[in-house]
Order: sequence, then C-alpha cells, then structure tokens
Amino acid sequence: MIRARGLCFSYTGNAPFVLDGVDFDVRAGDYISIVGDNGCGKSTLIRIILRAIKPIRGSIECTAARIGYVPQRNDFSNLQFPITVFEAMNSYRNLLKEPHRSEIFRMLDWVGMADFANRLVGTLSGGQLQKTMIARAMLGKPDLLILDEPSTGVDRSSQREIYGLLKEWNVHNGLTILSVEHNLDAAVANSTLIYHMSGGSGHMCVPERYMREYVQPDEPSDRPYERNDEVC
Amino acid sequence: MLKYAFMQNALLCSICISVLCPCIGVFLVLRKYALIGDTLAHSSLAGVAIGLSVHMNPILGAFIFTSICGAMIEYLRSVFEKYADLVLSIILSLSVGIAITIISSGKLRTNAEAYMFGSILTITKTDLYMAIGLSVLAVVTLIVLYHQMIYIAFDEEAAIVAGVKVKWLKYAFSVLVASAISVSIRIVGMLALSAMISIPVATALQLDKGFKWTLLFSIAFSAADILLGLFLSFYLNVAPGGFTALVSVIVLMLVVAAKKVLRTYKKRGLQNNGASDIL
Repeated sequence: MIRARGLCFSYTGNAPFVLDGVDFDVRAGDYISIVGDNGCGKSTLIRIILRAIKPIRGSIECTAARIGYVPQRNDFSNLQFPITVFEAMNSYRNLLKEPHRSEIFRMLDWVGMADFANRLVGTLSGGQLQKTMIARAMLGKPDLLILDEPSTGVDRSSQREIYGLLKEWNVHNGLTILSVEHNLDAAVANSTLIYHMSGGSGHMCVPERYMREYVQPDEPSDRPYERNDEVC
Repeated sequence: MLKYAFMQNALLCSICISVLCPCIGVFLVLRKYALIGDTLAHSSLAGVAIGLSVHMNPILGAFIFTSICGAMIEYLRSVFEKYADLVLSIILSLSVGIAITIISSGKLRTNAEAYMFGSILTITKTDLYMAIGLSVLAVVTLIVLYHQMIYIAFDEEAAIVAGVKVKWLKYAFSVLVASAISVSIRIVGMLALSAMISIPVATALQLDKGFKWTLLFSIAFSAADILLGLFLSFYLNVAPGGFTALVSVIVLMLVVAAKKVLRTYKKRGLQNNGASDIL
C-alpha cells in the first residue's frame, strides 16, 4: 500500500536531516507502530505520507484510496473553537463528499460517543476527544488509518477502549493502521509490525524481535495491555 | 427619520453590513486573526484614496486594493511563517503610507474624512447597489465554502488530508474580507471597522454555543449594534461608526455581566439544593 525509498527531509532544507534515506513498506492489512525517541522523525514520516510536506529526496507511492488521520492531541490546540461533536463530524463528512448523514451516528455509536453529539468539542475529556477524532477519521471508510500518538493525554481505561477498537478494525475489517507510538506496551501488544526509528532512518521488525533487540530485559514491565487475542 | 432618502440608503447598507461583517469576522476571530480586519480597514482607506485620485468609484477602489493587500498578507504569511503580526504591520505601513501621501497631496476633490469616521449623509444609490452586490456575492460564496472554511479555522491539517485546497481558499477568503471591508467603510468608517468584525463575534462566543449558533448570534448582535448605532447617532448628531463601536462594546459588557450573574445564580442554586439534600 505504501512504498517509500530513500526519503530525505530537513525542515531547513539543509543538513542535519530529520529523515536520511528512509525505506518503508506497508502492506494492506498491516498494523504498524512507528516508535523511537523524540525528534527521530516519526511525525515527519507520517506528514510525508499524508502529503502535508514533500521530501527533499526520495520517492513515495501510496495506493490507499482514502486515508483517515487522527492528529496528535498536543498539536490540536484549537479546543476553544465553538463547535459541537456533530458539527465537527458533519463538516468533515461534507469535505469527504460522503452522502450518508447516518454514517456520523454509526461512527459515533461505534466509538461510544453517540450521547455526546451535541457537546462542544472543547468540553470533552482527553479520551472522549480522541475517540471523536477516530470516529471522524473513519468517516468515508478509509483503507488506511494514520494516528499520531493516540494514547497521549488519555487515561488507561480509554486507552484500552481505543486500542481495542483499532485492533477490531484491523482484524475484522482489514483496515491498514499506521500509528506513531510512545506507548511501547500498546505498540507491542497490538501491532503486527514495529518500525523503530533512530538517526534519521528505521528498521522494521515483528514485536517479539523488537522486544528482544531494543527493550532491555531489566526494564520495568508495568504492562496494562495484553495482546488482544479475543478479536484475533 | 426614515422619510429621508439618505437614511433609507443607510439603513439598507447597515443591514448588509450586519450580515456580512460577522460572517467574515467569525472565521477571522476563530483563526486568531482578528487584527487583519484593522489592517485591511487601513488598506481600504488607501484604496478609497487611490479610487478618488483616478476618478474611480471609491468603494470599487477600496475593494480592489484591499483584495490585493489581503492576498499579499496570505503570501507574506508563508514567507514570515512565525511572525504573523509582522506581516500585518508591513501591510499596515504600506496602506497608511499610500493613504496619507495621496490625502495630504491635496489632489482629492472629495473629503476622505467621511471614510475614516463613517457617514450616513454621503451614501449614494450607487454605493447602495455596490453594497448589496458585494454582500450577496460574499454570503453566497460563504454558503458554498461553509464546511471548508470551518475546517480551515478548526483543523487545517485535517482539511488538507480531506483534500481541501487550503492555500487557494485562504486567498479566496482574503477577497471576501476585502469585500466586507469595502462595503462597510462608507457607513462604519475605517477607524471603527475592526470593532464590527470582531466584537459581535466576541459577544456571541460568550454564549458557549456550537458553530452554527455562534454565527447566527454574531449576526443578531451585529444587527442590534449597527441599527442602534445608526439610529442613535442620527439623533445625537455624531458619526455612526464611532457610536456603533461604542454600542457593540456596551452590548459585549452586558452579555459578559449577564453570564457572570447567571453562573453565580446557578452555583448558589446548586449549593442550596445540595444543602437541602444533606438536611
């Protein structure tokens, strides 16, 4: 679905490069978590896939017919905007030229936010906002869902709900998911592949290998997530 | 009062302005860009001066020059990405420079003061038709681009992902702002124009409603401010622009005070209910 070769990017146009020769492949049905330290280029990579920015060098092909995007909650500073959950969903539906208004309630119902349709977005909790953003991203039936740190600022029970939903869509509906993650436990528990980024490039591996190669054995293992086998 | 033809023209013009200014203002305020109104108001004065100096309709001159300045602001914002206020002061300097140079040259046969303070006496039938035409054009464009404009203000990145041509729409919006300002300058005046763009919206925001209701309340507050300002300025024999700005600030303060009183009242009601439950 995505094939990127030799991607280079720098915000100044010169060295040092945030991305320096990134090769990246995503197949339909994958659930890939992109992990790495702050500033390693995770969000930059997804912004290139979203075509919000252009790489300085390299090529990227994306065959996804429609992409859904859930922004990083910290980036979403416009919480004072006077808009209800329904209005935010309805305007987005119009942008996507999705004809069925009923899709809004179907998606809100799916993420458990149907009762909050008339609430102002700015009055939602972190978990409620994130679920609304996921419902919005799922409008228009995307075949690729891109999330930027979906668990940031979200309490643990909402995190479990969100990752449960993502896993369900991935397994039952074949939705391809690409998620930038700081939450390593969630990444290991839910993804089919993990893309570890450092020094401007990355390395794809299965979660088990990632645990062996990158996570220290004596690291504390306070893991609230277990592999979601019941939906597999 | 309405038996005078100039008052009839002023009233119709005011109705156009009371719909147009908040429709534009709501997007400007929510994009945290309210001061662009002030900058473009100065540009429109320069446009009026240019129009008068080349014997063109001054409102048309204001519309063309303000549109150019609006597009320049959008372009310069991409050049000075992190210094949005710097861009506004560059365009402000350019506009004030042109306006002062032309007005002080003494070559204008008309008094440009009417455009600075607003005047109901000088509104002609041509001005009125132009006001109606530009208002209809702006409102129709806003209706067509309503959802795109909401998303550019609310979540620009999501708009880009959904395939909205954000860059071009921002330029189109600059032209809409220019048309709103050109229409309003005649009656409200350059100096009080930014008040009409931002204060009714600020008042409506106090009601904590969704977007549609915020927009509708902005129009209602704007209509109340402008019509009250127009009628009272007629009887008090003062410039309508300044008086309308005063009225709009008073209405805002009343709404803020009413909101505070209601909150305190509700809080006390809840406390009393809580106390009676315990007893």
